Amino acid sequence: MKKIGIWDAETGGFGWYPVFLREMLLFRRKLLKLGYLFSAMVVPIIYLIAFGFGLGKSVQIKGVGYLGFLIPGLVAMSSMNNSYTWVSSALNLNRLYFKTFQVLVQSPVTASSIMIGEVMAGMVKGLFASSLIILVGFAVSPDFTIHPLFMTALLLNCFMFASLGVITGMLTKSHEDTATYTNFFIMPMAFFSGTFFPVDKTPPVIKAIIFMMPLTHTNILIRKSLLDHQAMISLAMMAAYAALFFIYGWYLIKKYNE
Amino acid sequence: MVNDACMIELRDVTKHYGKIRAVNNLSLSIRRGEVFGLLGPNGAGKTTTIKLLTTLSRPDAGVCRIAGMDVHQNSLEIRKIIGVVPQENNLDKELTAHENLLIYGMLHHVQNRNEKISETLKMVGLWDRKNTVVSGFSGGMQRRLLIARALLPAPSVLFLDEPSIGLDPQIRRQMWDVIRKTGIDGRTVIITTHYIEEAEALCDRVCILAKGKLIALDTPEQLKRSVGDHIVEYVDTQGRLVQHICKSREEAHDIARQENSSVTIRKSNLEDVFIKLTGGRIE
Repeated sequence: MKKIGIWDAETGGFGWYPVFLREMLLFRRKLLKLGYLFSAMVVPIIYLIAFGFGLGKSVQIKGVGYLGFLIPGLVAMSSMNNSYTWVSSALNLNRLYFKTFQVLVQSPVTASSIMIGEVMAGMVKGLFASSLIILVGFAVSPDFTIHPLFMTALLLNCFMFASLGVITGMLTKSHEDTATYTNFFIMPMAFFSGTFFPVDKTPPVIKAIIFMMPLTHTNILIRKSLLDHQAMISLAMMAAYAALFFIYGWYLIKKYNE
Repeated sequence: MVNDACMIELRDVTKHYGKIRAVNNLSLSIRRGEVFGLLGPNGAGKTTTIKLLTTLSRPDAGVCRIAGMDVHQNSLEIRKIIGVVPQENNLDKELTAHENLLIYGMLHHVQNRNEKISETLKMVGLWDRKNTVVSGFSGGMQRRLLIARALLPAPSVLFLDEPSIGLDPQIRRQMWDVIRKTGIDGRTVIITTHYIEEAEALCDRVCILAKGKLIALDTPEQLKRSVGDHIVEYVDTQGRLVQHICKSREEAHDIARQENSSVTIRKSNLEDVFIKLTGGRIE
């Protein structure tokens, strides 16, 4: 009987597990190297020192100290960077240079299993890096708290950008192209979507562009403690982006053809 | 209707990469249990043919079938019965030999995984290195692990794309022993190679490819017989290598007697077949 390929019935829906496990075994080896921990933390810590400690004492945003505003933004940025970059570069390298991606697509697992396994692995890497920033946040800012919407935003952000990482990893034709996507899309988004300053006072045209950026909605939701109207819009936008990226990533894996 | 004896069939298969026609209207069938060689120089279309049969590429025209199933309409079913040893070493080099096989076994739904992994590692002589990270393996050991990985789910069809490329002659012969063992239990084995001796040593039948086209297909002995059993070789007065293909040993000796210079008489090989049919060389 022909299978459509969404549900991996033979594995009871767990066809994604070996894909995920493989990434975790490789991740474990990386964790044992000191360089990984350092590289996951260095950029957000630099921002924390440069902006947080520089402006922290003199600036208040919406009645909250600047550090209390900045740290959730750094968590969002760090989870985006790690979920996205690890998935996109690993997939790109595995597909074009190491050819280990071909082992997955020549196995009797569905495209959805590969997609889920890769995205979940990206989420773990994003959550790991974020948890380091969260620990630093608790240590340096009394205003920093974690609530259910914070966790929702964080998980959805990791899912969204890991899915986007699959798309980039599948579309790029060389490893250098991955850096181009990062420089032209991910990096500007990190700076202009409310990580370091509130976006509500920006000019309307800029504001409209910023509103289209997925990370903007993570930054809105991650700082909310109540599910108000604005939080619901951001949650809906994030869910829509997450679904769109996931489906397109799945489609690219399913249509893989050398 | 599917012929029981036919395990693999390509019918009028064509595949382009841009303007290059990598496979050109290729038709052939491979019998169940056969060790079948695809022989040709680089760019002959061997690897593309393997990619088409192992669900990695889709043909622009024509049909590929394995066990009676269309490869691209039943890709999940096909992947359950094939094993692939690719030309590029695509092991996870930061994982151990055991971890590589564990992941592959899970991907292929292998039952009694640990037992099967032990058996397979023992078969290729890597049991004592099972917990060694693959990057610490020699090239020959990595090739053996690639074969072990492909054999773990006990596939009915095994594809070996240039299995001994880059290996020194001694390790290459060890590799042939491993491949011979895998063919003994009745599975269909398809080997691409540009090593003449490899095709002659391992294959029941050989298909010679050039520029994506089938040039000849038969047993190695029959192919050699078709061009002549013996070759007379000598260097002429202008330093050029001259070859005469002879139908018999007597004919070869007659030609050798007529030449004043130093003459070599040898048995023909598949390289001679290729030269005769295409005018080019394989290696």
